[in-house]
Amino acid sequence: MNQPKVMLAVQSPNDLTRVIKIKGEINSQAEAPLMEAYAEASAQGVRAIILDFSDLEYMNSSGIGLLVTLLIRANRQRQKLMACGLSAHYQQIFELTRLNEAIAIFPDEKAAVAAASL
Amino acid sequence: MDPAWRTLAEFNLPSQPGNEKIAMARVALLIEPFNLKESLVERIKTAVAEATMNAMEHGNHYQADVPVQISLDASKSKLRVKIEDQGVGPRRQTPEIPDLDAKLAGLQSPRGWGLFLIRSMVDELIVTTGDGFHRLELIFNLIGKRS
Repeated sequence: MNQPKVMLAVQSPNDLTRVIKIKGEINSQAEAPLMEAYAEASAQGVRAIILDFSDLEYMNSSGIGLLVTLLIRANRQRQKLMACGLSAHYQQIFELTRLNEAIAIFPDEKAAVAAASL
Repeated sequence: MDPAWRTLAEFNLPSQPGNEKIAMARVALLIEPFNLKESLVERIKTAVAEATMNAMEHGNHYQADVPVQISLDASKSKLRVKIEDQGVGPRRQTPEIPDLDAKLAGLQSPRGWGLFLIRSMVDELIVTTGDGFHRLELIFNLIGKRS
């Protein structure tokens, strides 16, 4: 079984927002670490979770499926799921899959955190 | 009229998880001399990776000793990547077009984006199933796509 090739770090820019910094690959092997990071980020009172893809190296269709799973969980928790740092190619994939309609996309973390605070 | 194809490379890969990235990297290296726009290169890489992953998983059931065959051909105006597995019998396809609303409502699995991504990345897709093989031909137009 392949090991996950992703490092995830949860940061707290303010009490209501968490940022999950993604470095590496989002594929089927990333499921456990991604869900653990989401659970850590979903502390009580958190209203927005930002996925920072600035250091994403590769994401495949299984990774897209994981984002849908995260979105389902976030919707249940009444949390906003947001994204930043996506390359032009992955922005296109978000548009093709319509993920961009459910996960607001921002150019960088600063813009996403500002929008989350509105 | 069919374009005149010339074969640039042919190679096999064992059906092991993660080898789709080797296919993607090899094809990316092989197309470097074409000086294609980055957006097209990314589309090619994603389509090759997804098609190779499907072939290894659904065709060869991740049996390492059953290889996926990959070839790269070019004509004056097109690039073609053929990806073939040794799957037998009708291929189980994603039963429905993935729909985000249906997935969020629990009416579809969160997964099932692979074939959709392939179709979205290519200009033409030819699927052939024969006696003991299943082949995808990913075709990309090159006209106006060089940087």
